[in-house]
Amino acid sequence: MSLLALEGVSKAYAGVPALRSVSLDIAPGEIHALMGENGAGKSTLIKILAGVVAPDEAAISVEGRAVTIDAPNAAFAHGLRFIHQELNVVPTLSVAENIFLGRPYPRRLGGLIDWRQLAEQARQALARLGISHIDPRHKMGRLGTGDRMLVSISTAFLDTEGAAAKIYVMDEPTAALTGDESERLFAVLREIRRAGGSVIYVSHRLDEVMQLCDRVTVLRDGAVIVTKPIAETPQDEIIRMMIGRAVDHAYPEPMAAAGDEAALVVDELAGDGLDPVSFAVKKGEIVGLAGLAGAGQSEVLRLLMGADTVRGGRVRIGGIEGRATDPAAAWRSGLAYVPRERRSEGLVLSRPITENITLAHLGRFSRGGAVLARRRERAIATARAAEVRLKARGLGQRCYELSGGNQQKVVFAKALSVEPQVLLLDEPTRGVDVGAKFDIYSLIREWSARGMAVLIASSDFPELLGMCDRIIVMREGGIATSLSAHGLSEEVLLTHCYGHHQAIVSEGQPALSAGGPAS
Amino acid sequence: MTTVLRRYGTLIGFAAIIIFFSVSLPDTFLTGRNWLNISQQVSMLTVVAASMTIVMVMGDFDLSVGSMASLAGIVAAILFTMGFSVPSAVAIALLVGLAGGAINGILVSLIGILPFIATLATLTVFSGVAFLISGGKTIFGRDIPASFSGFARDGIPLGTIGEQSLSLPYLTIVALVVVVLVWALLEQTTFGRRLYAIGGNAEAARLSGVRVKRLRLAAFALTGFGAAAAGLMYASRVASANPTQGSGLMLNAIAAVFLGMTMSEEGEPRVHATLVGVLVLGVLDNGLTQMSVDSYVRDILVGVIIIAAVASSSLWKRFR
Repeated sequence: MSLLALEGVSKAYAGVPALRSVSLDIAPGEIHALMGENGAGKSTLIKILAGVVAPDEAAISVEGRAVTIDAPNAAFAHGLRFIHQELNVVPTLSVAENIFLGRPYPRRLGGLIDWRQLAEQARQALARLGISHIDPRHKMGRLGTGDRMLVSISTAFLDTEGAAAKIYVMDEPTAALTGDESERLFAVLREIRRAGGSVIYVSHRLDEVMQLCDRVTVLRDGAVIVTKPIAETPQDEIIRMMIGRAVDHAYPEPMAAAGDEAALVVDELAGDGLDPVSFAVKKGEIVGLAGLAGAGQSEVLRLLMGADTVRGGRVRIGGIEGRATDPAAAWRSGLAYVPRERRSEGLVLSRPITENITLAHLGRFSRGGAVLARRRERAIATARAAEVRLKARGLGQRCYELSGGNQQKVVFAKALSVEPQVLLLDEPTRGVDVGAKFDIYSLIREWSARGMAVLIASSDFPELLGMCDRIIVMREGGIATSLSAHGLSEEVLLTHCYGHHQAIVSEGQPALSAGGPAS
Repeated sequence: MTTVLRRYGTLIGFAAIIIFFSVSLPDTFLTGRNWLNISQQVSMLTVVAASMTIVMVMGDFDLSVGSMASLAGIVAAILFTMGFSVPSAVAIALLVGLAGGAINGILVSLIGILPFIATLATLTVFSGVAFLISGGKTIFGRDIPASFSGFARDGIPLGTIGEQSLSLPYLTIVALVVVVLVWALLEQTTFGRRLYAIGGNAEAARLSGVRVKRLRLAAFALTGFGAAAAGLMYASRVASANPTQGSGLMLNAIAAVFLGMTMSEEGEPRVHATLVGVLVLGVLDNGLTQMSVDSYVRDILVGVIIIAAVASSSLWKRFR
């Protein structure tokens, strides 16, 4: 008998189907992968299970008994526990209080909160993940991104009275974790499986899924394509089923060799928490910035954009002196920027696609820099949207309605609205599905072939190795070395990131990914 | 259907108010004279609310508009007593508004004080200055030139109905011009587009090259300018200036913008929607006065209407 069974789950938003009669059964003691591109319906399915979204039709049963999940506490009562992709923490409360958010606090006589008991139970929840370095009494805001994620995850392992946890639903839990932290989480998940509990595991990281999961269900366009044991499903088959076509190469081949002329020359550029950095990027060259989380990759891009305060140094763009004092100056000097956090930094979600695409060079698409020229705006937005292969109902659509991959394409369309000399990319494909990733890589190749210089900061090492000509390794806020990407292996790159003395190469898992004590 | 109700609920409510007064006041309410009268009564509020819309587009507030309106009236009146000509006194008073708005802008954007606190502080400062320079007294009578106070009484003749001659008041025309200017600024210029981007996501706008600080400062300065203009209109209409006469404008202006926001798709302030908000308040005022309803009851009704409009709008949003 299945532990959790869904049958005929359907949901439409404003007439557009997000899920079409999806059925899924989860056996006791299995880790079940849920795969699909952004917009395939995974999030909607999870939200229905969590009682956040009401399905149009659904039959859900837990241990053979039909149940109704119409609110988050109903899901909780049926033994479901969720770890959502987006970090939902209250930075001003302590770690322990965050873990207990939405749960009854332990009480003392007279109804007062038993703070000692609260901290103790929080410590135990953390201990299940093997975490001892986080003090439950510290403020959440003091923790780095990785640690915050660990705290969020530990919330699901809090022992509470009443409903015992049976099924854990995890949406991209490792997105902000280091290799070691991920491994620890996997160990806990395996333990849950041994004890007869089940896990629904959503991740874009195929290697994780292959390593950890027992069965996989692939969703595409809101429908189940297949449910199969992982052992019988090779990786490329999963990708093919997810995107509905075969991807021959994960990374498109370069179209032209880099030029000789320097497009960007950085000389002793310094900012807070960053040693002065010097490097150059040639026209048509793609250069990567690699390193452990918080080693300064993002900071270099932010300094170039004038987003943070520059403390010294010189920058030349296309031979012209141009150290940016603010982002407006940076865009005008020929830089373009795709920031790290697309929802909070990349897009004005409440505004239409067109307005987002033209925002950075709005003056150019207007009369005299002052009066809007809507036809000109629409023309450029239409052209760029086609170029980035944006999928939207229309360019007047508000950005919050788009899937993650399409949102990122809007950010790219904005960056390319006026051809830049240098394109600065910070985690350009984070949270982007396989199909959209390939579109973005192709786009980078096309534009670099036209002579544009590209600088990519990424925690996705295969991406850097697949796309870059050269990789600059950063360590503790400074440049450690610069390597040719030709023939470079992930292991060697990672060794450089850690520094030669403490070369740690974790097996299988790309520890390469973000995490650690981030900024 | 529900989306129609959500977006047009305020308009439907407005229509219901008009129908109610038309039935209750069959002889006087739906007449050209009354509506011209309403248009003049709301003209000051229209100017303040339209100006307030500029900062509210960015998600900010300006609580100081009322006391700035009073201050501008006092400044002009004092200059009149000192023998300044009408155009120069008006120009200086408007510059005071621009400067006061710029001070708000500096406090909010350069120093980084929350708009609520910064403009609450300047509210009392402006008001205090108005009391100080006027000695707390009302300036009226011969001190106010006839050409200044005459402006508010005159208008463009529209012809006569029966024995009464009708004219379109100059104050109404000024208010309409201000609405059109603010509409053009917010909807048709890069400045307005960038303000909406700041209101949607200030950090994303900054990283996209929008000079957030500069624009915020400019927006607050414009709001101060508009508040001063409204104060001058008020002084002209009552042919006098006293340091408290603008104080009712601020809450009504914010209320009008909020009523307007319930009509836009994403709950963003739009100036033409603000105008509808102003008219709701103005018509209510006019009708209730004619029905001899206590003005305190009118206050209660206005509050209830704002809650009803905003609550229904956010409830629809939740259930869509």
